[in-house]
Amino acid sequence: MAAEIQIANLVKAYANGTKALKGVNLEIEKGQCFALLGPNGAGKSTMVGILTTLVETDAGSFSIAGIQPQKDAASLQKVIGVASQENELDPVETAENLLVFQGRLFGMDKALARKRASELIHTFRLSDEREKKAECLSGGNKRRLHCALALMHRPRVLFLDEPTVGMDPHARAKFWEVITQLNREQGVTVFLTTQYLEEAEKHASSMALLINGQIKYAGSISCFKNLVNPAGSLSLDESYLAFADSMKADLSIS
Amino acid sequence: MNANGIILIHRGVTKLVKQPTAPLTGFAMSMFFLIVYNAGIGGIGSMDAFGSGGYLAFVFPIAIISLAIGSSAGAIQTLQSDMQSGYFKRLYLSPAPRWLLVVSPMFADTLSSLFFTLLLIGIAALFGVGFQFGWLSVLGVMLLSLLWSLTLCGFSAGIMLRTGKHQRAAIVTNIVFPLLFLSTTFLPRELITAQWLLAVSWANPVTYLLEGSRYLLAGTSDAHFFYVAILIFVTTSLVSLAYALLGASKIKA
Repeated sequence: MAAEIQIANLVKAYANGTKALKGVNLEIEKGQCFALLGPNGAGKSTMVGILTTLVETDAGSFSIAGIQPQKDAASLQKVIGVASQENELDPVETAENLLVFQGRLFGMDKALARKRASELIHTFRLSDEREKKAECLSGGNKRRLHCALALMHRPRVLFLDEPTVGMDPHARAKFWEVITQLNREQGVTVFLTTQYLEEAEKHASSMALLINGQIKYAGSISCFKNLVNPAGSLSLDESYLAFADSMKADLSIS
Repeated sequence: MNANGIILIHRGVTKLVKQPTAPLTGFAMSMFFLIVYNAGIGGIGSMDAFGSGGYLAFVFPIAIISLAIGSSAGAIQTLQSDMQSGYFKRLYLSPAPRWLLVVSPMFADTLSSLFFTLLLIGIAALFGVGFQFGWLSVLGVMLLSLLWSLTLCGFSAGIMLRTGKHQRAAIVTNIVFPLLFLSTTFLPRELITAQWLLAVSWANPVTYLLEGSRYLLAGTSDAHFFYVAILIFVTTSLVSLAYALLGASKIKA
């Protein structure tokens, strides 16, 4: 089966000399919930930035759903949904207006955009907030609205960059309920970056460990845990720390 | 322009209507110039050098120029607020062409500038400012205002997109503002005694904007000022538009 996301020898260096990615190769199959893990500064956000067309790559290539950004960026943007670390919301617009406008940008007519916005408002339990301006929403509700915006156009690949930062446990549980449902029932491929390893362990089926711009492990979570501790008694969190300790030299990231 | 263009321009205009602080500030600044200068030194308008239009007609082009500097056009408000909130990144992730994300807010801000220019012209007409060629003069002043607004919008947008810092939009107005005073702003050329100021004013594009407008209003300048002004500001509009569009491919995410 062809991979949903194919990444070949991705290289990125910033103007200040920082080498964020040093030749990354990855394949993620359709319908997977994939977690990209690594310490701060490892290059995770750069990788998400490149895959979502926000950041240009220096070398290498990638394709998502068979679409290469160099050939057809607009088509690629139609198949991906992105919820990045920051809440990118127009503060003076209401939650509903933001969703409808997002739908319109992706080619929906007004009636369809309103219908889809209502669905997502219900799904993310934002009914009491639909008429509130984004700037008046709580941190957790902003995150939920942000994720709802990413799903407005029914993407087949969803990028979640630290998606649950700032959410309370209840909101976090509800958020994962929605994402898991999308992943399992609708086959949406999820590309997740997170520092909450218990979330990755619970919801992701495969993972990669990015350290200092290089992939140090790619495969299933259970294999990773077995690799670190064949006895199999460690959690992902503990396995990650043990693995990181064994690679201390690599982790001394500037 | 495709559906996304119309949606984005509509959004830009709606935002300016909902949050009119910037365009209203520009309009208030223009009215301030018009009223204060006319009240303070309007008496000299009876001199021959000011023609039959008096000082109000002479000083009126300054109000048009300062309108764009002080209003949303100078700050390219819609783009600036989107960059400040991070929402621009979300727009950037949509399938809308990136050039459209830059041109649409510029278009909305220019429309706002034109609206307030028309309002200023109406007020000036009420106070007795004459228009030498009637509606043609009005259209000429509107055209100069459009080109001037586009120039400011384009350079402001280009700088913001290249640096990724919305605060940098102020660079353009900070550069342009002194040019207002290094020109035939308050007095006609015949009454300026400092030779250095006269020399500088010839090289200052704002001079051609002022004198070109004065040709259309009271006819106190020659027609060639108007034509040179059109030539200069069509060029600067195109250059600034290109600068902004090239900036769209260099957006600092």
